[in-house]
Amino acid sequence: MKETDVLETKGRWKIHINLYLVVLIVVIVSELIGTYKFPVGPGTVVLLPMLYAVIIGIILSPLILGKAIPALKKVLSKDEIELAGSIVMIALLPLAVKYGTLVGPAIEQVIKAGPAFLLQELGNLGTIFIALPIALLLGLRRESIGAAVSICREPTLGVIGERYGLDSPEGIGTLGVYITGTILGTIFFGLLGGLSVGTHLHPLALAMASGMGSASMMTASSASLSTAVPVMKDTILAYAATSNLLTGVTGLYSVIFLGLPLTNWMYRKLSPVFHIKEEVK
Amino acid sequence: MENIGKKILNQFKVMIIVSILTLIGQRIGYKIPIGKAIPGMLLIILIGMVALIIKDLMPKSKFPAFAWAMLIALVLTMPFVFTSKFVLNYTNQVNFLGTTTPILAFAGISIGMKIAKLKQLSWKLVIVAFAAFIGTFFGSAIIAQIILKLQGII
Repeated sequence: MKETDVLETKGRWKIHINLYLVVLIVVIVSELIGTYKFPVGPGTVVLLPMLYAVIIGIILSPLILGKAIPALKKVLSKDEIELAGSIVMIALLPLAVKYGTLVGPAIEQVIKAGPAFLLQELGNLGTIFIALPIALLLGLRRESIGAAVSICREPTLGVIGERYGLDSPEGIGTLGVYITGTILGTIFFGLLGGLSVGTHLHPLALAMASGMGSASMMTASSASLSTAVPVMKDTILAYAATSNLLTGVTGLYSVIFLGLPLTNWMYRKLSPVFHIKEEVK
Repeated sequence: MENIGKKILNQFKVMIIVSILTLIGQRIGYKIPIGKAIPGMLLIILIGMVALIIKDLMPKSKFPAFAWAMLIALVLTMPFVFTSKFVLNYTNQVNFLGTTTPILAFAGISIGMKIAKLKQLSWKLVIVAFAAFIGTFFGSAIIAQIILKLQGII
């Protein structure tokens, strides 16, 4: 079904109402549980309502709780789930506006930090130095190139798909990281944001780092970070949002011109070390 | 053209629902009276709709509606722009975290079916994915730390 038709209400009232009632309940329960934060080692674990919302949402799926409760499967069937997927993009807009209203008043401060914003985009390459050796150590071959090339959001999927095809080993690597990010990304970054304070890197540097992936990853990370360091809340959110906006512009080019050549080069250097006997392209 | 009109109307309906969910959520989580937040929410819907319409009219553009919405709100709230005080006055009644909960509820439900894909995935790729996340995050953070220090900002 095309995206336009999924949102269509005509003759699809039941699907819409089912989904909205379930989401309403999930939102109410998540907000009633409320925010918790507690120190763990030098960092902070921050548990926000959005974290419960995503976990409850996943658990309600026909493949998990729906298996045990058939009635739930009727309320949340394939149609409702498909509709939920199309709504995410629209549901993100009030958040986008809120982010804009945080960056606007801080615009002079943000422009002053311009050089840091631009250069930290290169930090995306950090994934190559950590993820590639680990991938090779685990015995992955050309998959490791696709997996370690970047944080693998939509732009990377496009580049790798075009160059190697998504059913190639490289494509499978990228797709694997993409899927992991889609399913576990918010939970992972929601925890990492607060815990990262323990590294003693400055909260503003961590805020910029929060902008590296998808909008939901950035939101999870920056919301958690700003709850851990409430005195800098607005600046943290403004920095993270600006960094995410920049990633949206630069991300694609960084993969094509830096990430992919560098990963291939590193692969040629490293794979003999890990005893992979195969012809390197 | 008629199709685009229909699409925009459907997106508008969803926007209203999302706003209602947000208003209820933030009433519970952050004790913001619903009536007090409605003007700000209407302003947010307006900006969000403008972003969606721009995106609908330029389907080939890679710039997502999220970025348009953020940019419009950014420009309207820059201190030297005359709309700044007015917009902030109202949008401040809408809580930042309050807007995140409905998004993630929808996202969580939409993920449901994809769980099967995760099960098929090699556990090795899941580990590499986490390594990639950590690498990107700290790669950016370390560079940002160095440059911000050099600039004397931190």
